[in-house]
Amino acid sequence: MTRPARLENAILTAPLVVFLLLLLGFPTILDLVYAVSEVRFETLRSPSFAGLSNFTAVLGDPEFWRATWFSLRFAIVTALAECALGLFLAVYLAPLLRRAPWLLAILIMPMIVAPAMMGLMYRLVLHEFIGPLPNLLYAWFGTSPGFLTAQNVFTTIVVIETLQWTPFALLLFHMAYQSIPEDIREAAAVDGTRSWRLLTRIELPLMLPTIGVALFVRFIDGFRVFDNIWTLTGTGPGGSTTSLAIYIYVAFFRAGEIGEAVAASIMLFGAAFVLLFAAARWSTRGVR
Amino acid sequence: MKRASDILRILVFLAAALILNFPVIATLVTSLKSNAEIARNPGLWVEAPTLGNYAAIFDAAGRFDVWTFLNSSLVAAAIGTILPIIVCFPAAWVMARRGVGAAILFPATVNLRTLPLIVFAIPLYIMYQSLGLLDTRLGLGLILAVVNLPIALLILVNTIRDLPVDLEEAARMDGASLPTLLLRIVLPLCRPGLVTVFILGFITAWNEFLFGLMLTTRDAVPITVGASFFFASGGGGVEWGVAAAIIVIAAAPPVVLGLFMYRHIGGSMTTGAVKG
Amino acid sequence: MTIRQTMIGIAGLTALCAGSVNAEVTVLGWPGGPEEEALRVVAEIYNARPEVAEEDRVDLLFFGRDGFFDKLQADLAAGSDAFDVNLLATYSIGRYAPYMEPVELSDQAEDVFGETVLSTMRFEDTQYGVPTDLSMHFLFYRQDLIDALLADDTARETYATISEEYLGEAMEPVAPDEMTWRDFAATALYFTAAVNPDSPVRYGTVLQMKNLLFNIMVFQSLPRAYGGDWMDDEGNITVDSDAYREGLELYKLLYDAGATPPDSLSYEFPEANAAFTSGQVAMMVQWSGAAGALLDTDAAPVTAEATRSVAPPAGPEGRFTHIHGLGLGLNANAQNPEGAKAFLEWLSTEEAAVEYARAGGAPGLTGTAIEAVAEERPDLVPLGEYASDYGYVMTGATGANALSVYELQAREFTGYWGGSQDLDATLSATADGMADLLKD
Repeated sequence: MTRPARLENAILTAPLVVFLLLLLGFPTILDLVYAVSEVRFETLRSPSFAGLSNFTAVLGDPEFWRATWFSLRFAIVTALAECALGLFLAVYLAPLLRRAPWLLAILIMPMIVAPAMMGLMYRLVLHEFIGPLPNLLYAWFGTSPGFLTAQNVFTTIVVIETLQWTPFALLLFHMAYQSIPEDIREAAAVDGTRSWRLLTRIELPLMLPTIGVALFVRFIDGFRVFDNIWTLTGTGPGGSTTSLAIYIYVAFFRAGEIGEAVAASIMLFGAAFVLLFAAARWSTRGVR
Repeated sequence: MKRASDILRILVFLAAALILNFPVIATLVTSLKSNAEIARNPGLWVEAPTLGNYAAIFDAAGRFDVWTFLNSSLVAAAIGTILPIIVCFPAAWVMARRGVGAAILFPATVNLRTLPLIVFAIPLYIMYQSLGLLDTRLGLGLILAVVNLPIALLILVNTIRDLPVDLEEAARMDGASLPTLLLRIVLPLCRPGLVTVFILGFITAWNEFLFGLMLTTRDAVPITVGASFFFASGGGGVEWGVAAAIIVIAAAPPVVLGLFMYRHIGGSMTTGAVKG
Repeated sequence: MTIRQTMIGIAGLTALCAGSVNAEVTVLGWPGGPEEEALRVVAEIYNARPEVAEEDRVDLLFFGRDGFFDKLQADLAAGSDAFDVNLLATYSIGRYAPYMEPVELSDQAEDVFGETVLSTMRFEDTQYGVPTDLSMHFLFYRQDLIDALLADDTARETYATISEEYLGEAMEPVAPDEMTWRDFAATALYFTAAVNPDSPVRYGTVLQMKNLLFNIMVFQSLPRAYGGDWMDDEGNITVDSDAYREGLELYKLLYDAGATPPDSLSYEFPEANAAFTSGQVAMMVQWSGAAGALLDTDAAPVTAEATRSVAPPAGPEGRFTHIHGLGLGLNANAQNPEGAKAFLEWLSTEEAAVEYARAGGAPGLTGTAIEAVAEERPDLVPLGEYASDYGYVMTGATGANALSVYELQAREFTGYWGGSQDLDATLSATADGMADLLKD
């Protein structure tokens, strides 16, 4: 690469780098110190060096692995469900949405509500006596399941998350689908391509990058889920709805194990970094 | 034939709208019920609609001012939405077009989204304390910008990568300088991506809770945090009607934004202008 | 701009800055409820007192209620000076004591609040706060349902059969103020549609079993009545005991039998109230603070008329109710400590306590103070009585890690109730964790 290009690159990335350094530089350094220290709220300003004990403590904590497994399962299930539903709605409703784009606004409403508030409202919506949903079920079927029993709680929060964030996938897919040039479709129509073939052979491949982004973002967001679960069930019966973010929050604020909470975050960041590093490598290679 | 499929489509739309929005509808309905009716009538039909819950929120203005909370949210969310676009746009172009930063900068930034950023809460608190940023809208906006960086960068890189290179090359041939190229050619073509980043970023920033709680006390309290001032009743309980009303009020600004921005998303076809 | 104008401007600016730093005593209170309203009233009264200097007037500050204590923890640990006086609670006093200064009470405090209530604001024999509100548990029940049960011979027979089947002995129904926990269980089962198809209501009781520390406070009066405690005098952890077994099993039995809604594992204060006021629940143990909402015919149109309250059921060791207090204490980083001390001292006088009670707060009062408000606030009378007769605090429950102990118990106990672990594993894990948390 030429020298002027290198200078240009440096100037163009500078705002991002400087912003990150200014805002997260000091916190990152302090967190790195905390990660290798024995530190509690009382000793925030005087942590004592503890080597890698925080890391070994976290790795040896079965709750950490349980929370990781919970987050992983939750993220995969919700990301797939949201993207599948979102893709179906975006493609199937496309003619309707093209005629009346404002209909899309109705469909994306759920994702505009704060997830924490959503969790709070589900405490009402699912309540056996004052909740509209059990009320409907009692009226129609004469009974209503316990939505938040130890057996059902995982399914319930997966559905809640999916209902709130399918609109996100729908929004991205809608834009990608609309941006496929009309002439491609027309050419295909002239060639007599059936609509199913058009979809699978032409449209979906064109939308593939967007599908990748949507799956990725929804996976990440599902993996770090916090607000709605926290306000609805907290850590759940026996800790059964403890996501990794909830685990870290509880370790940090409730147990005051700041070093361990930070150590867990660093490992999470490291694991995600390796994954994304590989993904970025792979995708840039794909472009060239 | 055509008719039938159209009707089916409309039915699917209605079902999706109802199911996806069920909690939203329930919230709206609940906000129009009195406490007594909530206890008596759990259904979706309001027997005696009342604006009492909304009145309670605005009546409390002497104690907690809902307008101040909304204003704080608006300012902080605006900073938290626009700043990431400004710092990410040039970087995204370099990353998309020249593969710069693929090793460290891109994954590191996007990865911030996987982190429970709450581990930065205490160090940030200490830093903000010495900089005088505690309890300011600017301080809150800055951290909301960090929250939004990953998705801004991801979507912008993706958008620019999808843009045809031909237009840029043509501009270069015509002797356009780099700033001109970025601002006159690339930026307008990125509009759909920018709109998406703006909408998603604004919603995320508006709805953020934990930093709003930790980093503000009085002057910069956002609506998500201020909300619980209103609906808590004695002994740690929740007044469902007021809670529903404040949720409706808190969600209204981003909903309006979404409705307003819709024209820009729907009509934008520039992405594929040359590719086809 | 002339030099003179500039000077005036600077002087004015300096005065403004100085004013905003030192002008007042900032008090961080508990937002949204009657505590907030009562605090506003007494702050106004205090500010109107002639001897209170301009710069020592009280200014109130409130945080969001969600995550309140996490935020307070961060503020105190980082050395915030945004407030001079802040909220304290018995269960968190040990956690915040390192960042607080001891307070001085007025001479009258002993007579106004009594020893039990004052001790809820003490950590390691040091007074860290002035008590404001007292919380405990009542047994709320439906008079109409209980009366019908007591008066009906066929119902008594059913009651005997049910108690025989579930509790191993044929029992007689008794009035709520005489109930033991076994009577409570038998009565709850009798009023459960899943157990007794003729029950007039769907559930006998509603238990708050969400994984939440406050729910463990509600629960623990049950093992306490069987002699349960966190640790003995030598500091040995005593949670793995028959008393806790008895209590945990009784909850599990009621949950499995369907005597409480299936979603009880996600229920806390508002869910339980909503279930009770729907009219489908016969009785529940609930926080004293719920009395207002449960007895108000507007808020609870279906049940308020028939709802009564007594102290929680008894066990072999007697009748107990968990108590804790909310109060106000002095931030070690206060900008105006002298002004703050003056306000706190006044807050512990009879005058202030009585005004606080009149304005809707729930202080635990004794002597002439309670007499002064008994007419306007009859609900405060049993509060003081129950506190001195049945009130207890578990050994170690004001320690630095008390909150963590409650959280540990919440996780383990709800795991047992939800069926993901057995009783032995639950109690041994709880005991191990508590030994770590309470070791010093």
